[in-house]
Amino acid sequence: MTLAPSPAPPATASVLDAAQLPALPGRTLTRDELHAWVREVASRPELWERYVRHDPESGRHYVSLYRDADIDVWLLCWNLVDDTGWHDHDTSSGAVAVTRGAVTESRPRLGGTPSSRTVRAGRVFDFGPDHIHRMGGAVDGSVSIHAYSPPLWRMGQYSISASGVMRRYSVSYADELRPLGE
Amino acid sequence: MIRIDCHQHAWPEALVDALRRRARAPYVDGDELILDGEPPYRIDPALRTPSAREDVDLGLLSLSSPLGIETLPPEEAEPLLDAWHGIVAGLDDRHGIWAAVNLIEPDLAVLRAILAAPAAHGLQVPATALADPAALERLAPVLAVVEDADLPVLVHPGPAQSSPGADKVPGWWPALASYPAQQAAAWFAWHVAGRSLLPRLRIAFVALAGLAPLHHERLVARGGSFGAIDRHVYYETSSYGPRAIDAMVRVVGVDPIVHGSDLPYAVPADPGLGAAFSHAVHAANPHHLMNGGLR
Repeated sequence: MTLAPSPAPPATASVLDAAQLPALPGRTLTRDELHAWVREVASRPELWERYVRHDPESGRHYVSLYRDADIDVWLLCWNLVDDTGWHDHDTSSGAVAVTRGAVTESRPRLGGTPSSRTVRAGRVFDFGPDHIHRMGGAVDGSVSIHAYSPPLWRMGQYSISASGVMRRYSVSYADELRPLGE
Repeated sequence: MIRIDCHQHAWPEALVDALRRRARAPYVDGDELILDGEPPYRIDPALRTPSAREDVDLGLLSLSSPLGIETLPPEEAEPLLDAWHGIVAGLDDRHGIWAAVNLIEPDLAVLRAILAAPAAHGLQVPATALADPAALERLAPVLAVVEDADLPVLVHPGPAQSSPGADKVPGWWPALASYPAQQAAAWFAWHVAGRSLLPRLRIAFVALAGLAPLHHERLVARGGSFGAIDRHVYYETSSYGPRAIDAMVRVVGVDPIVHGSDLPYAVPADPGLGAAFSHAVHAANPHHLMNGGLR
């Protein structure tokens, strides 16, 4: 019997292995450490550029670059239509490096309009587990690298009604980073 | 994308008949299954046919590895394995099987032929066959056939060890005292030796691998290392619910978790972690287990 040649999956068990990445401390990272670490990953496009894809037909595109017991690293590709909705990251801190285009970040304000900003390529921001936000693409074809520590697990997802009543739903992080199209 | 239940059981008539013809364990006496390491188990005649459920599009049937058929002398195993693989003749397109192979004298040519059948979606092996790294190394040529066929492997609990008090324990005893320990040992063996032996194999561990990855802090404290999450290693959920699944997600993430019901021994329940999680576990993740590729 002859077997048809099968497309070989990548030989590495994770998209990137630890040896390719900036050094990790082997414990949960602080916000400052995450900030510096994700900035360094962003400065090395040879690690992640080949995974960038913007296809409006198939919705949002995400690649899990690396995950271990302490850190969770994602490449996110954004178009203008992309919007995460309001969410928190439960016990995780995070840092985001925008590497192409620009993203929007908004924080809800009770009884008022959200606090919003545009973060352009080259900028990095970080946040703690107390942070509630929503993100979106500010320009078609934008790219950002996200690192979370401890790794993402659960998230709070929020709805805010027309009258301003806020509700929290506990979901897995799949709601942001493995949406239904995947 | 179809919804897959990676782990169901059924008892084809031919297998029950072949077990009835045996005089020593594993055998069937009337409707009772007799094993060395477990209390007698009544095979409900309703279980002879695969379960039909509306919440999945494809259910993958697996041989009950605790019977130990895979490690019987080859001449004893052959009629039982033939009876198992014969189940495909009566299957509808909503069911497939995990193939099984005798591990005492594995016939790799026969295995290749069985895996080439459309209803065969991969190979199931008992956890006892990879109980430590040396055992995994002996098993590697069998697993390499599955890797070459670009199909996945399912690691399922094998026979529970017989003990003098085996007839004085509740019916659930092997499922709690033996199976998780077997699964955990198999996962640790894979963790130590698996990926270097089989760089492209996709492998799923039944019952959340006995929760082995939850021991990662203890692993590091005792001189091991945990390292990156392996995206070609999967964890099947059977008999576990929201707390254990949630704890596993905390360690290995959402991507490696695949839905398996263990029907008819357990009934699946949604862990309530949101629509995206349910989609991942029922459809997207099993798709990657079955088909590989980037994600």
